[in-house]
Amino acid sequence: MTGRAVQHATFSIERTFEFSPAEVFAAFATAEANGRWLFAPDEAPKDGDEFDFSVGGRDHFAVKTPDGPTHTYDASYYDIVPDQRIIYCYEMYSGDARISVSVATIELSPAQGGTRLTFTEDGAYLDGLDLPRQREEGTGFVLDDFIRALRDQPR
Amino acid sequence: MTSVIHDTFVIQRSYQATPARVFAAFASPEAKNSWGDSAEAGPAPGSEAEFDFRVGGRERFSHVYQGTTYRYDALYYDIVPDQRIIYCYEMYAGEARISVSVATIEFAKDGDGTALTVTEQGVYLDGIDGDQAPALRKGGTEEMLDGLTGYLARTAS
Repeated sequence: MTGRAVQHATFSIERTFEFSPAEVFAAFATAEANGRWLFAPDEAPKDGDEFDFSVGGRDHFAVKTPDGPTHTYDASYYDIVPDQRIIYCYEMYSGDARISVSVATIELSPAQGGTRLTFTEDGAYLDGLDLPRQREEGTGFVLDDFIRALRDQPR
Repeated sequence: MTSVIHDTFVIQRSYQATPARVFAAFASPEAKNSWGDSAEAGPAPGSEAEFDFRVGGRERFSHVYQGTTYRYDALYYDIVPDQRIIYCYEMYAGEARISVSVATIEFAKDGDGTALTVTEQGVYLDGIDGDQAPALRKGGTEEMLDGLTGYLARTAS
């Protein structure tokens, strides 16, 4: 037991790729409608999952890891500016333990040949159960999966 | 055009009261309303207020300050009695959202008193409060915490 410790951190991840801001924004909105873009792009929605891409709306889903605890993601959308910006607060659980509370900002801007996406997370990581570096690394993988899924979809 | 400023500020204070008393000052509307209000701001007429201090509960209120109505809307995420409170909140000036933040309040025993640490990780939107938005927010939070010193002295048994 590490005690009731909080580690605060901010990280930012940038990716530039060949889709317009409108296409990227639509993919976020559609991915939410269809299931998820975060953490589990290949899983079918389950009972208890919730996806509501609107200001005040909530995303909620749980993913069972093969050998470990269930990870639960719960987000509330605060700010949505079409083709430009998405801001949500979210918490993560590992089993029954809350491991983080964060505000995430996704900014989209036109860049040479496509879009520059900037993901910034301002997070409080709790009780030694998660670390900013792990979250940053995981988020980078998730963003790369998201871009790969965009490239794979029929145009 | 949209723009954002990301900022984190930390404020540390010492209070001559136990963590349980300092925590309690944040945990009920009666307590919080006795020290959390800025002397210069008044409640907005006809505005709705809510104070539901539990995980998943909301706190909402509106104030008029220098002719502008500021609306505060918070959602409590994490509450560890006498130790920690974490909430996300947004602020509006009139109809415009000006910020989204995650705030952490930590209470630690420090001798006979309490060491309080407030950490606010904020996203300030569209230049509405200007480049100084984080500094303004920090100043406002500091003023509020000054009020807590007096409240704890007044209510000491």
